[in-house]
Amino acid sequence: MTAPAIEVTDLTVAYGEKPVLWDVDLEVPQGTLMAIVGPNGAGKTTLIRAVLGMVKPAAGQALVYGKPYEEQRRRVAYVPQRGSVDWDFPTSVLDVVLMGRYGRLGWVRRPGAEDRAAAHEALEQVGMSELAGRQISQLSGGQQQRVFLARALVQHADVYFMDEPFQGVDATTERAIVELLRELRTRGKTVVAVHHDLQTVEEYFDRVTLLNVRRIASGPVGEVFTEENLRRTYGGRTAVFGHNGA
Amino acid sequence: MLDLFDDYTLRTVALGSAALGITSGALGTFAVLRRQSLLGDAISHAALPGVALAFLLTGSKAPLVLVAGAALAGFAGTLLVMGVTRTTRIKYDSALGIVLSVFFGFGLVLLTFIQRRPDASQAGLDRFLFGQAAGLLQRDLVTMAVLGGIALAAMLLVWKELKLLAFDPDYGASLGFPMRALDVLLTSLLVVAIVIGLQTVGVVLMAAMVIAPAAAARQWTDRLGLAVALAAAFGALAGVSGSVLSSEAERLPTGPTIVLCATAIVIVSLLAAGRRGLLWRELRGRRDRRRLRVAAVLADLLALEQQHPDAHRGHSAAVLSVMSGGALPSLQVLERRGYVRRLGEDEWVLTDTGRTEAER
Amino acid sequence: MTSGQIEIQLIAVVVAVACALPGTFLVLRRLALVSDAISHSILLGIVLGFFVVGNVNSPLLLVGAALVGLATVVLVQLLQRTGLVREDAAIGLVFPALFSIGVILIARYADGVHLDIDAVLLGELAFAPFDRLELLGWDWGPNALVVMSVILGLNVAAIALFWKELKLSTFDPALAIALGFAPAAVQYALMSLVSLTAVGAFDAVGSILVVALMIAPPAAAYLLTDNLVRLLLLAAGIGAGSALAGYWLAFALDASIAGAMATMTGVAFGLAWLFAPGRGLLAAARRRARQKLEFAQTMLTIHLANHEGKPEAAEESRIDHLDRHLRWAPDFAQRIVRLAERRGLVRASGQVLELTQAGRELAADALAR
Repeated sequence: MTAPAIEVTDLTVAYGEKPVLWDVDLEVPQGTLMAIVGPNGAGKTTLIRAVLGMVKPAAGQALVYGKPYEEQRRRVAYVPQRGSVDWDFPTSVLDVVLMGRYGRLGWVRRPGAEDRAAAHEALEQVGMSELAGRQISQLSGGQQQRVFLARALVQHADVYFMDEPFQGVDATTERAIVELLRELRTRGKTVVAVHHDLQTVEEYFDRVTLLNVRRIASGPVGEVFTEENLRRTYGGRTAVFGHNGA
Repeated sequence: MLDLFDDYTLRTVALGSAALGITSGALGTFAVLRRQSLLGDAISHAALPGVALAFLLTGSKAPLVLVAGAALAGFAGTLLVMGVTRTTRIKYDSALGIVLSVFFGFGLVLLTFIQRRPDASQAGLDRFLFGQAAGLLQRDLVTMAVLGGIALAAMLLVWKELKLLAFDPDYGASLGFPMRALDVLLTSLLVVAIVIGLQTVGVVLMAAMVIAPAAAARQWTDRLGLAVALAAAFGALAGVSGSVLSSEAERLPTGPTIVLCATAIVIVSLLAAGRRGLLWRELRGRRDRRRLRVAAVLADLLALEQQHPDAHRGHSAAVLSVMSGGALPSLQVLERRGYVRRLGEDEWVLTDTGRTEAER
Repeated sequence: MTSGQIEIQLIAVVVAVACALPGTFLVLRRLALVSDAISHSILLGIVLGFFVVGNVNSPLLLVGAALVGLATVVLVQLLQRTGLVREDAAIGLVFPALFSIGVILIARYADGVHLDIDAVLLGELAFAPFDRLELLGWDWGPNALVVMSVILGLNVAAIALFWKELKLSTFDPALAIALGFAPAAVQYALMSLVSLTAVGAFDAVGSILVVALMIAPPAAAYLLTDNLVRLLLLAAGIGAGSALAGYWLAFALDASIAGAMATMTGVAFGLAWLFAPGRGLLAAARRRARQKLEFAQTMLTIHLANHEGKPEAAEESRIDHLDRHLRWAPDFAQRIVRLAERRGLVRASGQVLELTQAGRELAADALAR
């Protein structure tokens, strides 16, 4: 039995006196696609940030393949929310994707031919090859998301953390992203994604974690994505259509 | 302009202004991109007490000493701004305003205090207020060039890291880069860029030299590297032309003249630059509207033809004008293109090619 | 104290209060740096006004200069609206340009004609008592005092008159628009007040230090209260106090009065930053320390509750294992356990901890939030 890709134990994070994550345990087996869902303020983004070492937990820990994140950076790639950057920044699509190679390059060294080739390859994977030279301010929402994904792909990581990758993208892009995720899974990669759309959880992901400051439930979608659990997570204010019993 | 090479003072001033322009233009680009334009204003005002204290504590007026004092004070100001915004509900703009004015006020207290002292050697210090380019000496020039050079070299060295910092610091953190430290570094470089310019343009105007070249450069290009290089060039241009102009004309203080040159560059850039320029927008708007009108007239001619069985009868411009306003210029364009033929004084009719075109 | 000294202090206080009032709204509306911009470009306004009117003390000059201040705001907005320049950059482009034009005009055409850059920027309060307003055969007092008192009156009147509109458009601009108040009009009115006040104050404190008086006292007050009326009063009070303290500091050091006043507003802000009850640094530090302990106790109860009744309970409830599961240093763990015991949240039997009912309720409560 291989070690789980991600293992979180007793993770607790608080901003001031406000608890954002309480005593959260979860496991993400290798080669699966896991969705993290929960209401606003449930700590979903914080969970990712805590695993990536960007936020210091008050208690608990998060391990990547059995080791702390700092020792496993090469194996993890992060796709932040699209809204977290200013897309008016003067740079091109290729340039952003090249940023994915910076970790490998380390300090001072500039990207070279090999890095450029890798970047072009990643762009092809997300169907953005012709737009390599395009200014990022001229991209649509879906295109922006693809650029972020390409940037992560170029890292050749084993685990991918994504924050709302389907938010605000067109239908074509959405299908393309799902394809991409499935391909990653086939290659044995692991994806953990904060997901905003309850309707598509079952279709897109194998596993799901229901989070509302505490972990309400976590496991295979079929077992865990139930009326009861959703009610406990969202406080009885959701309706998932086409769901068993709904 | 030949004066530039003969006149020692002018040469010194011009070179010094160029150095300041290059450094503040380049580093200002990052500041402007990160929405820290007015941080430059705060830093330069905050530098004043640093200059005074450096003199009070060391008794020396060597440029390196004063610049060091300015830098430390400027940096302290930034730390306070960050501290206040992080620990209280006071917002960024108010924090900048407080640091800017309080430090500046304190600097004035120190300056006037020094002034009243018996040794009255404050004379060299108030040039930091409004700049006194004419007072630049060789040793000032050397200090500026060396410091500016170091700042630029540092910027080039960690270029890609700074790009990460400015564009997506979260992602950079996930890659393992120490974003906090890089932030401190970039801010320090900005402080250096500002303090080397204080002697030339003074604390009040230095903010402009950080913002204007960068704002101008941004209009011409969408690539970061080019934007920085262009900003440096614009800064140098403003510096040199300001110095030359101010030496040619009478009673034209150098600092303000440099700033006005920089402003002029910004205005030209806003109007003319590439696809974003305001003039271009206006011209393109007009061209698009003209196109629409021509197409409308063509379509109207076709419609009229189809309504009137006598297909070779001409229609007057007046009628067409009623249908789609001011048809004559459009008709002339259409004639030139061979889509329309003029039958009489004011009779226009579609040609065969014109009809095919209109039916498309 | 001489009558001159009294008058100077009076002027200082009037200026400070006159500045604190519109300044409060600038701070609340995140427009602090607009005061910086206006106070710089006013130099140009004063120069132009001087060319037109010929007399530095004319009220027309005041109005004209204030208009230039307003024009600054308009220019900044125009620049922003092109979409090519961001707001903060726009401010930093407009005011240095206007200021430079002003300086150049002075250097070329007004040299030595009672219009000295230093005076405009820095003011010289010490000379104010000598410049008196004599009207209708009576000495009304120093010019600066009369002018600033009038402006203070205007500020108070404007704020009182437009209280509802100001309050609403500051805290809820969307609602203000919905109710038909024109926030843009209020904005321009506010800018006009700021402009006028800055011009009026230039004689006394110079236009740059107006920024200190407009921003620092209200900011300090903002750390002390939430109530708008109290905010305004506190801002005025702190401003006045700083002005007086500054005067005496300048007197002691024989230094710039305006600079000293600005410095004292900074000191006042610093004191508020450190010592404000509730929001100050000291209060925050104390609160954090207390919260850390409380939080840790709550975490302990949740941790115990989570594992209660489950097979791993025996393991997870051991005091000497808390450091592993909660990542607490052993003495910290001991301390928390003792505190929790004292509060009746847990019971310790040897190395094993047991939750009390109170502890269980605390845990459930914390998670329900």
